[in-house]
Amino acid sequence: MRGKVAIIGVGMIPFGELFEKGLETMAQEAYINCLKGVDKGIDPKEIKAAWFGQWSGGLIGQGTQGGSALASMLGQMEIPITRVENGCPTGSDTFRNACLGVASGVYDVTLALGAEKMRDKPGVESLVAAGGGTGAGMGMHPSWMLGGGGPSIQALYATRQMYELGCTMEDYARVAVLNHHNGVSCPYAHYRFEVTIERVLNSPLVCWPLHLLDCCPQTDGAAAAILCRADLAKKYTDKPVYVLGSNIGMDHGNLWDKHNFIEMLSTIRAAKGAFEMGRVKPEDVDFAEVHDCFTNTELMNIEDIGFCPKGEAHKLLREGQFERDARLPINPSGGLKAHGHPIAATGMGQICEVVWQLREEADERQVKIKNGIGLQHNVGGPGFGVSGVNILSRSP
Amino acid sequence: MSAPAPASPLFWRFNPEVYRLIGTKCKDCGHITYPRKKICPICGSLNQEEHKLNRRGTVQTYCINWTTPPGLEPPVPIIVVDLEGGGKYQGVITEVTQAEEVKIGGKVEMVLRKVWTDRGINIYGYKFRLVEEG
Amino acid sequence: MAGIVGYGIYVPNYRLKQADAAIPWNSWASGEKAVCGADEDIITMAAEASEKAVRHAGINPAQIGSIYIGTASSPYIEQYVAPILAETLELAPEATMMDYCGSVNSCANALLGCLDAIESGRIEYGIVIGTEDRATAPGSEGEASFGAAAAALVIGKDGIVADIEGVYTYSTLFIDRWRAAKDTWVSSYFDYRFDREFGYEKHVVAASKGLMEKIGRKKEDFKYAVFQQPDERLPGLAARALGISSELLAPGIASILGDLGSCSAFISLAGILDKAKPEERILLTSYGSGSSNAFSLIARDKIEQKKKNLGVTLEKYLERKEYIDYLTYLKTTQTLKRAPY
Repeated sequence: MRGKVAIIGVGMIPFGELFEKGLETMAQEAYINCLKGVDKGIDPKEIKAAWFGQWSGGLIGQGTQGGSALASMLGQMEIPITRVENGCPTGSDTFRNACLGVASGVYDVTLALGAEKMRDKPGVESLVAAGGGTGAGMGMHPSWMLGGGGPSIQALYATRQMYELGCTMEDYARVAVLNHHNGVSCPYAHYRFEVTIERVLNSPLVCWPLHLLDCCPQTDGAAAAILCRADLAKKYTDKPVYVLGSNIGMDHGNLWDKHNFIEMLSTIRAAKGAFEMGRVKPEDVDFAEVHDCFTNTELMNIEDIGFCPKGEAHKLLREGQFERDARLPINPSGGLKAHGHPIAATGMGQICEVVWQLREEADERQVKIKNGIGLQHNVGGPGFGVSGVNILSRSP
Repeated sequence: MSAPAPASPLFWRFNPEVYRLIGTKCKDCGHITYPRKKICPICGSLNQEEHKLNRRGTVQTYCINWTTPPGLEPPVPIIVVDLEGGGKYQGVITEVTQAEEVKIGGKVEMVLRKVWTDRGINIYGYKFRLVEEG
Repeated sequence: MAGIVGYGIYVPNYRLKQADAAIPWNSWASGEKAVCGADEDIITMAAEASEKAVRHAGINPAQIGSIYIGTASSPYIEQYVAPILAETLELAPEATMMDYCGSVNSCANALLGCLDAIESGRIEYGIVIGTEDRATAPGSEGEASFGAAAAALVIGKDGIVADIEGVYTYSTLFIDRWRAAKDTWVSSYFDYRFDREFGYEKHVVAASKGLMEKIGRKKEDFKYAVFQQPDERLPGLAARALGISSELLAPGIASILGDLGSCSAFISLAGILDKAKPEERILLTSYGSGSSNAFSLIARDKIEQKKKNLGVTLEKYLERKEYIDYLTYLKTTQTLKRAPY
């Protein structure tokens, strides 16, 4: 993969509760912004294949989305389009498939677009209910994980992390404080307000030990990227961003097969493979956008990706090591905590941020670029059994 | 889309798992999994035998869900248990409402409970109950 | 004759003060009653009671030839309850499913059916489970007094802890409580003296007298008298009519656990068996819907030997409790439901 694929343009829409915009409108706007994001311009006909990240489709009554849906939305009827769904990392995997399309040598230019409409249903009926309720709708028997889904799996990890690793609910709240602060300066974030540890800990309990402000909001959004062969990139932009590694990692979805509740093998595998592909190491990375669907998840992700040993993340956070001006900025955009989690759009939105940061176009959010390497990470799916990691770089 | 009805093949298929706690043990790596599988999820081996889960165990981790989906009243305390004799079980604790009542490492036992009702039919399954000391 | 080879009971954790259900409707009741949690019902209670009975009996569940459920609160008019317990007990598919419904005398009838099946030689062991959680309506007499519990007996000819030396039944057409198929609650005629004299007393006395005459026993031969307990007064009135001293009576439980319906007499029986000595004789008489079954039991040596396999006893269940208020009760019984939208 390394050295074969370049990102020549990205674009997204501000995430939020976009009641006036349907799935189609959001996808179209993200696409238009993405086309505009190609510095030297691109003719849409140059795109030879597309991947459409769309997770919820039938779940929230949007109809079953297929590749043809995106074809109609974008007026791209002459190219192959596939819908991608792989849990919360749908965005990462959409990007990965578009990369493979180019790296395989079959297509010179591909499009990855993720769009999600969560807010046509109230919060309790969308992500919270998904995978919860009785589970019979997912082929499981209701006496397992009854009334779970949504936050409950991460809450199970959060309880065990406190028990085994010594982090506290305050540490979790600290993640929210930092990410909210970062989100204030991101025009694409859903939430752009500061919070305090006290405010987080006093917010209503969603799933003990997680409070409302430990959880990312329910949000709508869309984001896209256009990729091309690395050796053709300069035709479209003087500042291409190259793909070093793009990987998906698996773990068991069933909790009874999991080896412990303090780390996620999906992230560990995805990251390890991506680093191997790119022939780089965690210490080479300048900054990372990681999947903070819940505050405790961010701490787990930082350790699982390999940025620090297991059990150290909350200590480094206390020392301020993940702030935008520190050694390893985490979620300079504000992460999912500030952006929300429009599932398929999340990963693509993170890709946009990594690209802007590497091109030093991130305005107030700009972090110091030393090695020119940024990392994007998602984790989720049933039982958090899937993770996607993409490592991007300024040089091929 | 509504879930399969209690009278559907899905529930009937799960009867041995749900009522008789029949899982699978891998003859190669020893991993115990549930529901029954033909292939070990850990090592991929095809050498699997039926294994009956024990009804007692200790708490591995837990959480208390206060934002339950429509049709289910909160709180719903969810638990992962390390079973005696091996294997894990994910489920719900009954007769508990506060996080303080549960401790990691605490003893629990399975008891039959009514888990859901759909189209007038009750669905039963094992929940966990804290074992009283003494 | 066959006898009890093992027994087990279950009483839910939760209690409601009977006055809490009566005062809002300008009624009065005293005492408290056992109530199911939101995730409990007659089947979950039966599962725990029957597992304990099988463990106490010390038999292999595959030996059970028939399973009898006696209840007046089955959730189904069509669909057996017994097969669910057959799963939890892991009975063989050859075990016959017998749901005895329609009255709080159902468990006593179920016991009769089981004894008949063993006598006929069709089965070797049977398990009889009385389980009750009757539906109530706001402001009804039953709402204050109906309690929930389950009792299970393993019946057979080997390993007997208490022989059943005789049975006798007495029935007439008499309506005191009923629940129509279209109703979701039990109604009571509730004319106390009429129901007491011509319902409870008449049938309990006739069945008990008939039993003693049939097996040639006098009231002096009995150490204990266990009668159905819709409330704590009625057994005493029947005893007086029989000329039996009230000292023989099983302790009052109706003001502690409520009117336990089908399993009422059997919960009391379990409490008596917990302390009965070998060769002590017990008179057990049920009543419901104009029917009364009387049994004579004799404790045997094995009752002492098997004591170590007894699970949680009645005494412990009486101590173990957690109070809920009337509002919680209305919600757990689904009398009060959240609006669907």
